[in-house]
Amino acid sequence: MLPGDLSIIMPEIILAVFAMVGLLVGAYGGKDKTGPAMLWATAVLFIVLAAWIGFQGAGTAHAFLGMFVDDAFARFGKVTVLLSAAVVLLMSESYMARRNLLRFEYPLLVALAVVGMMVMVSAGNLMSLYMGLELQSLALYVIASLRRDSVKSTEAGLKYFVLGALSSGLLLYGASLVYGFAGTTQFLGILAVVGIDTSLGLLFGLSFVIAGLAFKISAAPFHMWTPDVYEGSPTPVTAFFATAPKVAAMLLFARVVHDAFGGVTDDWQQILAVLSVASMFLGAVAAIGQRNIKRLMAYSSIAHMGYALMGLAAGTAAGVEAMLIYMAIYVVMNIGTFAFILSMEKDGSPVTDIETLSMLSRRDPMRALAMLVLLFSLAGVPPLLGFFAKYAVLLAAVEAGLTWLAILGVIASVIGAFYYLRIVYLMYFGADENELDTGGSTMLRVIAMASAAIMVLGLWNLFGVEGVAKAAAATLVN
Amino acid sequence: MTEQEATVVVNDLSLIIIVLLPFIGALFPGPMIRAGRNSCAIFTALPTALSLIMLLLLAPSVMDGQVIAVELAWLPQLGLSVAFFLDGLGLLFAVMILGVGLLITLYARFYLSGDDPMGQFYTFLLLFQGAMLGIVLSDNILLLLVFWELTSLSSFLLIGYWKHLPEGRQGARMALAVTGGGGLAMIAGMLILGEIAGSYKLTDILLQGEAIRTSEWYMPALILILLGAFTKSAQFPFHFWLPHAMAAPTPVSAYLHSATMVKAGVFLMARMWPVLAGTDAWFYIVATTGLVTMVLGALIALFKDDLKALLAFSTVSHLGLMTMLLGFGTPMAAVVAVFHIINHLTFKAALFMTAGIIDHEAHTRDIKRLGGLRTLMPVTFVIGALAALSMAGIPLLNGFLSKELMLEEAAHTTWAGSPYALPALATLGALLSVAYSFRFIGHVFLGPVRADYPHKPHDPPFGLWVAPALLVGLVVLIGLLPHIVEPLVRVAAGAVTGGVLPEFHLKIWHGVTPALFMSAIAVLGGAALLAIHHPLDRAWIAARRPEAKAIFDSVVGGATGLSQRFTQLTHDGAMSRYLAIFVASTTVLGYLAWRGGGLPAATRDLLPVPPVVLVGWVLLLVATGSVVLMHRDRFRALVVIGVIGLTVSVGFVYLSAPDLALTQISVETVTIMLLLLALHYMPKVSPVESSVGRRIRDGVIAVAAGAGVGALAYMFLLRDTPSISEYHLANSYEGGGGTNVVNVILVDFRGYDTYGEIIVLGIAGLIIYAVMEALLNGPAARKLRNTDYSSDRSRDRHPLMMVIATRVMMPMAILVGIYIFLRGHNQPGGGFVAGLVVSIALLMQYMASGFAWTQSRQRIEYHTMIGWGVVIAGLTGAGAWLGGKPFLTSGYDYFHFPPIEEFELATAMLFDLGVFLAVLGAVMLMLYSLSRIAHYAGETVNPEPMDYDPSTRSRIVKEEK
Repeated sequence: MLPGDLSIIMPEIILAVFAMVGLLVGAYGGKDKTGPAMLWATAVLFIVLAAWIGFQGAGTAHAFLGMFVDDAFARFGKVTVLLSAAVVLLMSESYMARRNLLRFEYPLLVALAVVGMMVMVSAGNLMSLYMGLELQSLALYVIASLRRDSVKSTEAGLKYFVLGALSSGLLLYGASLVYGFAGTTQFLGILAVVGIDTSLGLLFGLSFVIAGLAFKISAAPFHMWTPDVYEGSPTPVTAFFATAPKVAAMLLFARVVHDAFGGVTDDWQQILAVLSVASMFLGAVAAIGQRNIKRLMAYSSIAHMGYALMGLAAGTAAGVEAMLIYMAIYVVMNIGTFAFILSMEKDGSPVTDIETLSMLSRRDPMRALAMLVLLFSLAGVPPLLGFFAKYAVLLAAVEAGLTWLAILGVIASVIGAFYYLRIVYLMYFGADENELDTGGSTMLRVIAMASAAIMVLGLWNLFGVEGVAKAAAATLVN
Repeated sequence: MTEQEATVVVNDLSLIIIVLLPFIGALFPGPMIRAGRNSCAIFTALPTALSLIMLLLLAPSVMDGQVIAVELAWLPQLGLSVAFFLDGLGLLFAVMILGVGLLITLYARFYLSGDDPMGQFYTFLLLFQGAMLGIVLSDNILLLLVFWELTSLSSFLLIGYWKHLPEGRQGARMALAVTGGGGLAMIAGMLILGEIAGSYKLTDILLQGEAIRTSEWYMPALILILLGAFTKSAQFPFHFWLPHAMAAPTPVSAYLHSATMVKAGVFLMARMWPVLAGTDAWFYIVATTGLVTMVLGALIALFKDDLKALLAFSTVSHLGLMTMLLGFGTPMAAVVAVFHIINHLTFKAALFMTAGIIDHEAHTRDIKRLGGLRTLMPVTFVIGALAALSMAGIPLLNGFLSKELMLEEAAHTTWAGSPYALPALATLGALLSVAYSFRFIGHVFLGPVRADYPHKPHDPPFGLWVAPALLVGLVVLIGLLPHIVEPLVRVAAGAVTGGVLPEFHLKIWHGVTPALFMSAIAVLGGAALLAIHHPLDRAWIAARRPEAKAIFDSVVGGATGLSQRFTQLTHDGAMSRYLAIFVASTTVLGYLAWRGGGLPAATRDLLPVPPVVLVGWVLLLVATGSVVLMHRDRFRALVVIGVIGLTVSVGFVYLSAPDLALTQISVETVTIMLLLLALHYMPKVSPVESSVGRRIRDGVIAVAAGAGVGALAYMFLLRDTPSISEYHLANSYEGGGGTNVVNVILVDFRGYDTYGEIIVLGIAGLIIYAVMEALLNGPAARKLRNTDYSSDRSRDRHPLMMVIATRVMMPMAILVGIYIFLRGHNQPGGGFVAGLVVSIALLMQYMASGFAWTQSRQRIEYHTMIGWGVVIAGLTGAGAWLGGKPFLTSGYDYFHFPPIEEFELATAMLFDLGVFLAVLGAVMLMLYSLSRIAHYAGETVNPEPMDYDPSTRSRIVKEEK
């Protein structure tokens, strides 16, 4: 059983071994002096692995008796996760270094979390699902409280951990119910059983698994941790939270509902639709009153997850495709936005108050313009890429007969546009000028600009994401 | 009525170039500004002119009734394509956009001062122009949406061009919030439309009118699309943003807010006319909105002192007029609407430019500070007066023609059963319109020359007045010879109505019709109204009336406040609230799942309840209740928890699960002991931090969730479910060599699991050690040192009885441990339980004689013990590879050494040894770590095993003697 299996999960093994060796090197070598080198090494490894998976991967392969699946869908997720994690790492270097947070554990924990995410998107079994999920979550709990001497950061980590543990427990409860009634933990086996008879136990199991996963993607009403964790964590960590883990959890979500419960679409469609509506509206409404941009982004991500869920709720291949496109675009937008947030400094120390952005357009027109594009894109205003993301999921929902969901989604996006535009308004017409530092590190500038440029240039052909997403969705839904 | 011949579709790529030219052109003004303001303007005019010429080349065939179309694939999966088409309506708007664009470029060249960043201005202007062209030429409703929002975006940039004006800020924000939001709402409307029609191509959708009007989704689609159109065209109640956007430079106002952008909504309604119009809903929503907007806009315009505000509200009013006409839903009304679009464009753009000139020259736009400009600015006077007279609807100017036709249409339209309501209100609108138009002329140009202009005005240079002059030329030309625009109106209106056109001719004299009387009433009444403007104005100013900006601000403020209250309610940072939401949601979800699935009938009967079980059950309930009640007193709660654990293990015994019982008892004992130790250094009571109400709420949620889980378990217990137990029972002896299934599961079937678990346990032990290390070197240590624990301290910390008892018990306990370990494979027991039993024996020594005393007698390092445990277990597992079997497959055999009876040895036992060592090491390491706290807390080290040792005491006494 082994050699073939091992070659299928070789990327994960390499990354895991790298993280563990790195830990030893860090612990017995130069401690935190190795931080920057470790960070670059990790980022480069991410990119290399992403290229390897992206270009070499083909077809569908199962490892470990189907516990681990390598297909186009998984590869889509892995490449997105790896690339976004790499960019976030590079983004965080200067910020972390200046605040004395660039410990060698940081990139290694990110690497371990990424291994977990890669397992998640490849999970073909409730066991591997949980293994990946927990590896990811445990690493994230630690990263959230990376700034040990900050009460907020510690609090964030603790809250995240307690609630996360609860949700994991719930997910396990659901998984064991599913196992008990399906007699197998294998997704394919569950699919076979579900098709024949959907017992109440399976439904309960499904509901609780969905609740657990909803927590991971911070869908309302399982979203409570998000604003606090986003605010409390060091900003680069927040940027990481908002990107790669969301993709992984969303894809895992898709895998569970389609691979394991594809036969009972009606049963989960309603739950997902309700989660989607709740997230979109909660995200949109709650963000209006926020003054802290990190909290605002937390609510924004809740709303965005609502839209991605809308694609999933459609229950069709087109829906999954739309969700994948949505997540890919979401990640790029968020990376750019967080690059901007990371560069928000006043007299050299970071600020997160939205009011500090007043009249930025006069002091730093290029940066303000980039942020303007990103915010419009986040709001889903055509012709920017964010619109195509939203449009794809709306289309999928309408085609699946969920017109009411699409209409509610649009109404939520109108509400949501309000707070994004508020920031734009402040940057261009703010009441008084705030002395927000101009410039910022070149890396952050480049990333923010590049992300904004992608939002504009992407409307040419979405950089081909659409075709890849279609192929990926096809392997999942049949 | 005449049916036009079937449309001919011609493919022509040049349409794409026409749309793209402004976008490509937008790249140039930025760099060209270095070459001077003239070349910058020329490079702006060039793409516009080129585009216009190409369009005019296509015009003849469009006038012949052909439709020019082009389509390129673009994201086909999303239903998107780059598709443009040019028909009469598109042609009319495209010519307007490009033509006025050229004039505005010229006008802005002279209007903007040298300090203004002109390159930036022209770039935005071209972007906007391209977006507008895109809207009117799109053949794909999604492409239309893209351009639609692009106009919002570029107009935002244009409005914000003069950033130093404070009123510009609010205007930009309102414009963006209103039009942007409306556009987003339209997305859903378009999606529904496409879904009903089965295509996102506009030309396809336009053929599906019947299907769309009868669809059940017609109303939502209509409302959502109208939201987009009404917000863009500033229809009541969204009219308030337009006047506030007037802080923008005048060229922008003239171009965006009169000629093009605000007409986009009207254009959309006209474009969608064949599919959406004709229903009652359409008539009542659109016509009524238009009517209200027309009258209200005109009324407000009459009392505005700012020239541009006056013109802005007049624009609102005229947009209302067009909307109303489209709302009538008759082909003739559509013709009039198209005609008025042309006329309004000419006179209103000219008026805006005139206002700009006055502002530019006199340095004020306040009507109350102007007057008498007739002699100072004769050229401007002629232009402005002619345009304003046209706006008033005076004969021989084009405004008269379309207003007359509008009144004609209104005269025979019945609204909600009343034939008089519409004509009367339309006349009132016209009357007010005359009044403000006359006011524009009378209060600005006529009257005495004043001495106190902020700046001495005179006619501007040719470049500034030529553009409005050209437009006024058109005003007069159409007014005198209306039939020259008739073909254009015909082809454009034909596109609106989908080919069905009534017989009509545009002419000045229609004979004595009701409209003529209404017109006359309007002109006379308007003039009369102006005469009494002064007292009216005073009354208007004194009257309390809703101020749009204040309403907008209070709405925004209210929304923000509501949102903050909402977040405060759900996200106040308290864990308990989050948990409450989490648990409540999960409970609801569980309930939904239960509702959703059918439950088969119960297959099992309830077992009889013997009294013993009942007692245990009651005990359990009481104990659980007690924990809840006394959880603030931590020690007592812990004791009760211990009771629960013991009752549960008794339950296991009763239900024939001795293994579980054994494990439960030992785990229970160890954890309670460790907790007791840890609690010693913490506060003894938890303070009350929550209100009674919150506790009741939490209690309700907790009971609901608990009852839910209980009900779930009960439901499942009543039914037979497939179980894995049979497999284990059947394979335990043959596959694992043991008759104790639980132990075989642990060391064989789930060997991996156990192996992982002991590693976790070991890590937990190490982490507690490490955390304690960090803690005791940090601030916590200081706190510990400064806390006074003396009151907690027993006078007899190491009582004699306990010391003796534990010493006697230790060998026995260890023997029991070994026994349990050895029998584990076949009977209840095993390495895990054995490890716990031995740890309890050792723990007792620590408790009896104190930490330091015991520690000094410890020979084996606990860290090492954990390590050995894991290594032994791992090696045992790996040993299976030697036999060519997978990791952790256990082997066993039977041995016979006399005089002992035959016995079985399994590799599982070796594995169990690893488990034993790891468990023992981990538990003891935890204890060790906890005890270190004591050391920091000032616990004294006792050299003796017990505080009071009678044997030494007697010896001392003897020596003394």
